[in-house]
Amino acid sequence: MSAALRIAREEWRLWARSRVVLLAGLIVAVLVVVTSTLSTLSIAGEAQARAAQQASAEATFLAQPDRHPHRMVHYGHYAFRTPPPLAAFDPGVDAVTGQSIFLEGHRQNTAMFADTRAGADLGGFAALTPASIYQLLLPLLLIIIGHGVLLRERESGTLAVLLAQGQSAMALAGGKALALAGVAAMFMLPVAALATYGVANGEPALTAALMVAGYGLYLAVWASLILAVSLWLPQRSVALGVLVFVWLLVALVVPRIGINAGSAAIDAPGKIESDLVMLAQQRKLGDGHNAADPAFVALQRQVLEQYGVDNVEQLPMNWRGMVAGYSEKKLTDLMNDHAEKRMAQEAAQSRIVTLFGLASPTLAVGAASRTLAGTDLATHHRFLRESEALRFDFVQGLNELHANRLTYADDAARSSDPEAEARTRVNAASWRLLDDFRFAPDPAPARAARAALPLAMLLGWLVVLGGVIAAGARRLRP
Amino acid sequence: MSPLLREARFMLRDRGALLWIVLAFLLSAAATGFGIAEVRDQRATIAALLEEDAKDRAEALANESDWGGAAYGAFHLTYAPPSRLAFAALGQRDTAPWLHRVRMLALEGQIHEADTKNADFGLIGRFDFAFLAATVAPLLLILLLHDLRAGERVGGRHDLLVATAGQASRLWLPRAFVRFAGLALALLVPFWAGALIEAAPLGAVLAASALVLGALGLWWLMVEAVGRRLGTPAALLAALVGTWLALALLLPAVAKAGIEAMDPVPNGAQILMLQREAVNDAWDKPKAATMEPFLARHPEWRALGTVDKPFAWKWYFAFQQVGDMKAEPIVSAYRQGRLARDEAARGAAFLSPASLVEREFERLAGTDTRAMIAYEDRVRAFHAELRAFHYPLLFREPAYDPLAFDKLPRYQPSR
Repeated sequence: MSAALRIAREEWRLWARSRVVLLAGLIVAVLVVVTSTLSTLSIAGEAQARAAQQASAEATFLAQPDRHPHRMVHYGHYAFRTPPPLAAFDPGVDAVTGQSIFLEGHRQNTAMFADTRAGADLGGFAALTPASIYQLLLPLLLIIIGHGVLLRERESGTLAVLLAQGQSAMALAGGKALALAGVAAMFMLPVAALATYGVANGEPALTAALMVAGYGLYLAVWASLILAVSLWLPQRSVALGVLVFVWLLVALVVPRIGINAGSAAIDAPGKIESDLVMLAQQRKLGDGHNAADPAFVALQRQVLEQYGVDNVEQLPMNWRGMVAGYSEKKLTDLMNDHAEKRMAQEAAQSRIVTLFGLASPTLAVGAASRTLAGTDLATHHRFLRESEALRFDFVQGLNELHANRLTYADDAARSSDPEAEARTRVNAASWRLLDDFRFAPDPAPARAARAALPLAMLLGWLVVLGGVIAAGARRLRP
Repeated sequence: MSPLLREARFMLRDRGALLWIVLAFLLSAAATGFGIAEVRDQRATIAALLEEDAKDRAEALANESDWGGAAYGAFHLTYAPPSRLAFAALGQRDTAPWLHRVRMLALEGQIHEADTKNADFGLIGRFDFAFLAATVAPLLLILLLHDLRAGERVGGRHDLLVATAGQASRLWLPRAFVRFAGLALALLVPFWAGALIEAAPLGAVLAASALVLGALGLWWLMVEAVGRRLGTPAALLAALVGTWLALALLLPAVAKAGIEAMDPVPNGAQILMLQREAVNDAWDKPKAATMEPFLARHPEWRALGTVDKPFAWKWYFAFQQVGDMKAEPIVSAYRQGRLARDEAARGAAFLSPASLVEREFERLAGTDTRAMIAYEDRVRAFHAELRAFHYPLLFREPAYDPLAFDKLPRYQPSR
């Protein structure tokens, strides 16, 4: 093994003397450090701001004056998605989806005001984040540094000498692999530092460690690819051309083709489209504002029978509030059906995109990274589901107040009789029914399980490339 | 013509060069094909929704029995159809909505509704022709041209070739030109076929083609400038890839971050909160607190503007509008901020050929930020028309007659 180490050390010495390698390495290092710092600061600021906005939204809700409970249903509430600690490394879909959502009765709103909608448009690339530098730039840096790792020896004639001296081709390949791994390991420091920072801020060690491992695997895949190409191809320039071309396909083209394929294979309607379809079905459910809507006749008959009375005025509770609660439940079931269908379609699209990870380690590591950071599409869906549960809870709580604290006669007369209107106002202390909301992504084991598939893809790549390297070393001739 | 023919024959035997060109052709065909499928899908969505929308509105109106209820219940579809060139650059259509269903309620609560599709799409981005031409094609050109001279140098033929040719340009120019033309045609032919299928306007197609050629020409000059230097093909290629990286990837990203830091836009969520507060508070305030600001904006209804019942539809819709009015300053700051960022990005794009090509494609295709803001403006204008239609009915309160709805304003996409 000391032969391999000697070979690797020789390679490092050579790189340390090359101005191109040093300059490229320095630029990437500066980029990683600068984006990591900026991203850490901005995510910490965002997390704080959104937590403060959440608390202030809750305080505002509780501070509302006495009023009709249904006014509070429409007054509504907000849910904010606070970024998890690892979002500093990979902000994921955070900039694409809105970060806050308005919650009110009878509607499921979308998360609004995504950063990208107000962003400066300078073409196809997303903003620079530590994750995108690792995914796109580091492989290119490894290519520039390492494409000649073995071909250099061949072109300068030293390969023949080495082999003639009885150096085994396997040890040679091992040494070159070690040399590339050393460079990759050096560039693993920033991600390890950010992961540690994440753990210090409450991220479970499991996901943080897997995140580092995932990027380690990813860089190992690229280092292996570079070594394999250097072993199999005859010339440095050809090797570099091929590697740049592979990078172009793997890092830029295949992920986007995957998006095209996902979008073409599964037609997931947008929210506005599915809302229109839903609205047609909703009209059949009846308008919860109108207790006389024919849609509630059956309910009315059943309730009257249950309480043994002849008409809704004799019921011990407010019939209008009952109808509001009943129709909210029906409507929410319908909305959730549609929302679940839409989310399932989106998840299916994303699964197709992730399968393209078989052809692109960049796509695979991206999927794993977002999943582990808690900034992937599935986490956004979790946010949508949880904020919907929050919405339904407080709306139904208010509808219960509507049914139990108000009399039917006052409620019916409130539009024309100011005194009845005053009696329909519920004491503001009741607004305490609102639950606190603090969004957190899935627990670490669930995220780790979701990231298993893309991580396995990376491992598969590594195994295949290891085989290619071994085969290439075996047939190595000067 | 003969040097060109000679070089063309050479190139046809150069498997490396052919590979890049065939690849460019395949990628261009894929980008065009996917683009056409997507815009057709969007057009089909709009057509289907228009039908559904009319049906749904008729159904909603049939259930109503007064002017206010009808105004409350009827939704209206607005949309921005993809242009004939949109297949080549889907641009902002993946992140900004191109569909809205609006009704007479406060517009600010509706117009910011995000119709985002799968968030992964917006994050990773599509592979459309504009991305291919702006970002991928230059790298292919670099791979094609970087070793013209250095390759011959390594082969030991360089000096002999130059001496035989007499003038160096007589040798390198045709050789580079043939490769350049091969790549450009491989890119443009599928694009032209797509433009023909989509019946894109000739002027825009010519402008887009000139843009592709111009940008590729610029990259060619850069390759020339670097390729003249002595150095191994690998060193030249490394330098060129570094240049590409700086111009196509780093510079736009840094410019984007800089512009967004320098031109802040107000937090959009503030718009919504302000408007909601205004609308919801109105229920508890005296009617005059709503009607005064409303009548200041609409003095024509002053004579009919008193509200004496706890609920009246004209008051209800008046406070919807007052809610919009409260949000006006921040809404216009949000709009101005986005336009300022776009303007700054337009200037910054001159530093990066890749950004310039992509932005110009989006402009030609009507999928840029300005086009999306223009769509928002059209929705606002349409909503104003709706108000102009309903206010006379709500304030004058003529006998309810659903026939009046035959004259409901219809949304016209201006394109």
